[in-house]
Amino acid sequence: MFTPTYVAQQIINGVNLGSMYALIAIGLTMVYGLLRLINFAHGDLLMLGAYLGLLLVSAAFTPLILTLFIPMLVIGFVGILVERLAYRPLRGAPEVTMLITSLAVSSIIENSMVMTVTAQPRAFNLPAGVNQLHTVAGVSFSTLDALTVGLSVALMAALTLYVRNTRTGIAMRAAAENLRAARLMGIDINRVVMVAFFLGSMLAAAAGWLWAAKYSTVEPFMGFLPGLKAFVAAVIGGIGVIPGAVLGGYLLGFAEIFFVGFLPPAYSGYRDAFVFALLLLILLIRPNGILGASTEERA
Amino acid sequence: MVRVEDLTVAYGGIEAVRGVSLEVGEGELVTLIGNNGAGKTSTLMAISGMAPIRSGRIVIDGEETTKLPPHAIVARGVAHCPEGRLVFGRLTVQENLRLGAYQRKDSAGVKQDLDRVYALFPRLLERRSQLAGTLSGGEQQMLAIGRALMSRPRLLMLDEPSLGLAPLIVQRIFSVIQQLHEEGVTILLVEQNAHLALTVADRAYVLETGEVRLAGPAKQLIDNPEVRKAYLSQ
Ligand SMILES: Nc1ncnc2c1ncn2[C@@H]1O[C@H](COP(=O)(O)OP(=O)(O)O)[C@@H](O)[C@H]1O
Ligand SMILES: [Mg+2]
Repeated sequence: MFTPTYVAQQIINGVNLGSMYALIAIGLTMVYGLLRLINFAHGDLLMLGAYLGLLLVSAAFTPLILTLFIPMLVIGFVGILVERLAYRPLRGAPEVTMLITSLAVSSIIENSMVMTVTAQPRAFNLPAGVNQLHTVAGVSFSTLDALTVGLSVALMAALTLYVRNTRTGIAMRAAAENLRAARLMGIDINRVVMVAFFLGSMLAAAAGWLWAAKYSTVEPFMGFLPGLKAFVAAVIGGIGVIPGAVLGGYLLGFAEIFFVGFLPPAYSGYRDAFVFALLLLILLIRPNGILGASTEERA
Repeated sequence: MVRVEDLTVAYGGIEAVRGVSLEVGEGELVTLIGNNGAGKTSTLMAISGMAPIRSGRIVIDGEETTKLPPHAIVARGVAHCPEGRLVFGRLTVQENLRLGAYQRKDSAGVKQDLDRVYALFPRLLERRSQLAGTLSGGEQQMLAIGRALMSRPRLLMLDEPSLGLAPLIVQRIFSVIQQLHEEGVTILLVEQNAHLALTVADRAYVLETGEVRLAGPAKQLIDNPEVRKAYLSQ
């Protein structure tokens, strides 16, 4: 029943979904690592990125690549703005205060969108060429699938190089590990947080564009579930650690696709429940996530 | 170089430092001794802009810095090697050292200081690509001191550099402290090992439950009966 091509097809789907989860999870994990803030508004930046992409795609004269890059850039700045207005005044506040604030920011963004563009889902249609199917050895994938994976991998590689080698990148890793010690080094934490919000929001916007293209639709609440699942991915991989977010994203993408693809169709409605069960299971075995620091390492 | 005036640090209702005044002059090696909980770490943290100051003033090079954030204090030439080392375990030894020079723009000078730190602590050179978390306690302390030196500080604050280390490593670290002192670096040294601290320091302050109990030249304090009884267990 499960032919090799069917399995290969599922793998492609898993890489696809996993790439998007990974892109979203990186921003969540960077911000959590620095501020211990679970940023519920992250998924809403994804949504804003998708809408902005739609706006540009509809203006047919914009080159396709710019319909992606412009929203990334703009949403990067929106991320900085959200941090400045909503989160910076709370520096040093209890985690639960920040959590509630991010829920508030999320619902403000969603409701503003409902008020201005209505909750009506809109079609996100790319030029036909993008959805063209290619078949290699019986396995088929669209140009969009290839673009999703290629772009995600390229963006993640660029981010990794940045965080590994640049002065700000090293400062970011140091601050995520020990904020007090990082401040004693003379690192201006606000600057590092700003860069983290910029980069993370940029990746969320890219994921939003890809998500909208894959499901051919945008609506104001589209960011909620991907945001939540990306958070699960970040926790599975070890929150605060960027490679953990990538690993968790792909793991979750595969798990979800395989759950739907290899179990009887009657189960597929439970895919979200399955995702959270998987989270619980992994956390039972590794309470700090797969790549997270064990408690002894932190001491 | 740095002057602390009538400093009070309070965590919520608890006053950890109460009306402390002290001064460290250019090129001096001053030590702050006292029992656990006396307020030594809080005093250093206050100078670094990291502790909740309730009242009093901190003046560095004649300029008040009481309300400045830590990065502005570092910019004024202060390096703080904190209690418990706080090296970045997930970063390599060399990355840790480079972070010590985070604010510096003169890459040639940074390279020079990196070589100097490696010359002071050859163990760090051998382990420069290793994650700092894999180092022994003594190596981590050397790394923490080296990291503080990488900013080429004019004031170096060291918080309990001998804590929990084997005697041989303590000796090594103190000979480096003396060497830096001879080179003219201003040093504020916090120690529980009062004997060792009084041996190397020019002047000392004795802190007791958040207040300065005694102050004076280290050579005098080392013979003071009160100090001998309370801190030198003689
Ligand atoms: N972050 C903090 N929050 C609350 N109390 C603190 C904090 N840091 C230190 N204290 C308290 O302040 C007092 C002085 O501590 P500290 O400055 O660390 O002294 P020392 O370095 O001399 O051992 C202690 O009673 C300690 O419990
Ligand atoms: Mg202390």
